[in-house]
Amino acid sequence: MKAPKTNRTSIRRQLLLTLFLPVAAVLVAGTVSDYVTAVRPLTNAYDQALLDSALVIAANVRADKDGHLRLALAPDALDVLRADSRDRIYFRVTSADGSFVAGDADLPDLDPSYENPAQMDSLYHGTPIWLVGYKTFAGDSGLTVTMGETTNKRARTRTRILTTAIATDLVILGVILVLLLVGVNLSLRPLDEVEEQIARRSARDLTPLSAERAPVEIQGVVRALNRLFNLVADNAQRQRQFLDNAAHQLRTPLAGIQAQLELLSADEENQIRRERLVRTLEGARRLGNTAHQLLTLARAEESAASNWTFERVDLASLVESVVADSLSAAEQASIDLGAEITPAWVNGVGWLVAEALRSLVNNAIAHTPARGTVTVACGARDGSAYLEVVDNGIGIPAGERERVLERFYRASNARGTGSGLGLAIAKEVAELHGGELRIAAGRDGVGTAVKITLPLETHSRGMTSSDTDS
Amino acid sequence: MRVLVVEDDVLVGDAVRQALLAAGFAADLVGSAEAARTALMAESFDLAVLDIGLPRESGMRLLQGLRSRGKTLPVLMLTARDGVSDRVTALDLGADDYVTKPFDVQELVARCRALIRRAHAVTSAHVVFGDLQVDLAHREVFVAGDAVNVTQREWAILECLVLNAGRVVSKEKLMSAIADWSTDLTPNAVEQYVSRLRAKLGAVAKIRVVRGMGYRLDEGAED
Repeated sequence: MKAPKTNRTSIRRQLLLTLFLPVAAVLVAGTVSDYVTAVRPLTNAYDQALLDSALVIAANVRADKDGHLRLALAPDALDVLRADSRDRIYFRVTSADGSFVAGDADLPDLDPSYENPAQMDSLYHGTPIWLVGYKTFAGDSGLTVTMGETTNKRARTRTRILTTAIATDLVILGVILVLLLVGVNLSLRPLDEVEEQIARRSARDLTPLSAERAPVEIQGVVRALNRLFNLVADNAQRQRQFLDNAAHQLRTPLAGIQAQLELLSADEENQIRRERLVRTLEGARRLGNTAHQLLTLARAEESAASNWTFERVDLASLVESVVADSLSAAEQASIDLGAEITPAWVNGVGWLVAEALRSLVNNAIAHTPARGTVTVACGARDGSAYLEVVDNGIGIPAGERERVLERFYRASNARGTGSGLGLAIAKEVAELHGGELRIAAGRDGVGTAVKITLPLETHSRGMTSSDTDS
Repeated sequence: MRVLVVEDDVLVGDAVRQALLAAGFAADLVGSAEAARTALMAESFDLAVLDIGLPRESGMRLLQGLRSRGKTLPVLMLTARDGVSDRVTALDLGADDYVTKPFDVQELVARCRALIRRAHAVTSAHVVFGDLQVDLAHREVFVAGDAVNVTQREWAILECLVLNAGRVVSKEKLMSAIADWSTDLTPNAVEQYVSRLRAKLGAVAKIRVVRGMGYRLDEGAED
């Protein structure tokens, strides 16, 4: 029940995004506004200082009798006005007609006609500069004092304010993110617990989930799941009951018919009628066999869907009993039936594994000519257990090895009167146990080797792997 | 040899009874657990063939009751259900063998014969396999009525095979049967004793090799 983690709606991600993104946006807006409100008074103060200098200069501009303006400040006093630890300060005094009076003649122009005093950005000798212009009168003559200042301390101050604001906000964002993560994860933990409960259980476990610790929001989900589990368990129970009844109702009359036919055919003295009876008996046997295999297949499917309890299965004794049961059939067909047994244990439904193996052995005996060999092997190899039936019979054409696993499909060279269900049963049982079935050619390319690999029983893994050294 | 067949399905019950009669047994058929109990109390039987799915009281319950009252007669269970759980339960409750429907009648008769013989081996210590006779109490072997001399180890192996007639006996089991007299035995030694035994007894004793598993003494027909 593991959901892929990508491209799916996640409550956790959704919560984090919807909480964190607005908070982050608000903080960014706050930073901007903090910055603006902090920077403005400082620039105003710097402007004021420049304007003060402009006022001092303007106050020292005198007009002579001709109306010519001149600056009556000693160089020492000008040095004081230009003095600054970080920036260079420039000034220029022009008369109302624009003619130069004093200062730095090439300072960019600034016309404070619309606003007095006026400010603006400019470049001076390639350096960013902040200009403040002030228009006033000396006697009757209008004059303009333009102050220029490089922007070092303004830039420095802005940077400092910005850095501080961003750093503070980043710390706040971090704290909020941590709090959100903790809070969201804490709130979602009950969900995780339910998920874990489901993930931990085996696929066949249909007991209800515990709803006690589930939060209100998913009580409904847990209850619905439990209803579903109950439904599946009920269905499995009913299915099993049905199979029990079907098995009994099919097998008993079949047993009667078969037994009666067997007696009749043995007693019948009329050759023709005896042959007829024997053929009918064979039909009854085939029917009985098919019914048995269909029931087994249904059982295997039902086991896969319900909570059959797996038990420890000893493959060695399983092989021994299946081989012992098949000895008389092998003897009748003049086939040397033998075993190669090394210890191996698996978890499973013992009788179903035995039925699977029995089907394989029956197939092998049916498709191996007289004086042939059939060998049933079991053991552990490469971390898994295996059951293998190898014969030196007619084999299965390579192109049909997939198709013979289908129900009722019989290979083109199949012999006897099999139902075509044996391999399907073996495959179903192998998959029910988390294993697989493979068909290959037998030893030296002659005959057939059918191998079922199954997961080793977990407790005995170390033991059995050290037991097999081949 | 008298056999009680307990089976509610007339078709099956009748066939089993007829087959047992044809094989030379005396056989009675009853259709319920109650009737079976009455019959077993009134008469003496050598074997019961017991269907698990009897009406009202199941064959399992009947078997349980018989064993708890100390009845030791061999019991062969018939069942229409699949799965080993029934088989395990039946064997746990004291059944001696177990056959799933539908079955071959001749196979069933052979199993009945084996069960009776095994029971006899315990009580009378005298077992007959066609021309081979084994007297377990006096440790004597006869082939077609003539006594055959066997060594102690050969006897131990034969005894083990006879007591498990019809079943595969592993080499390990045979090894432990003769281990009393020797310290270092190999599976090869077992093979040697078995082949000597086969040579002495001839074709009468059907001792078969089951490759990779062990040996089996075939029951053979008893007629």
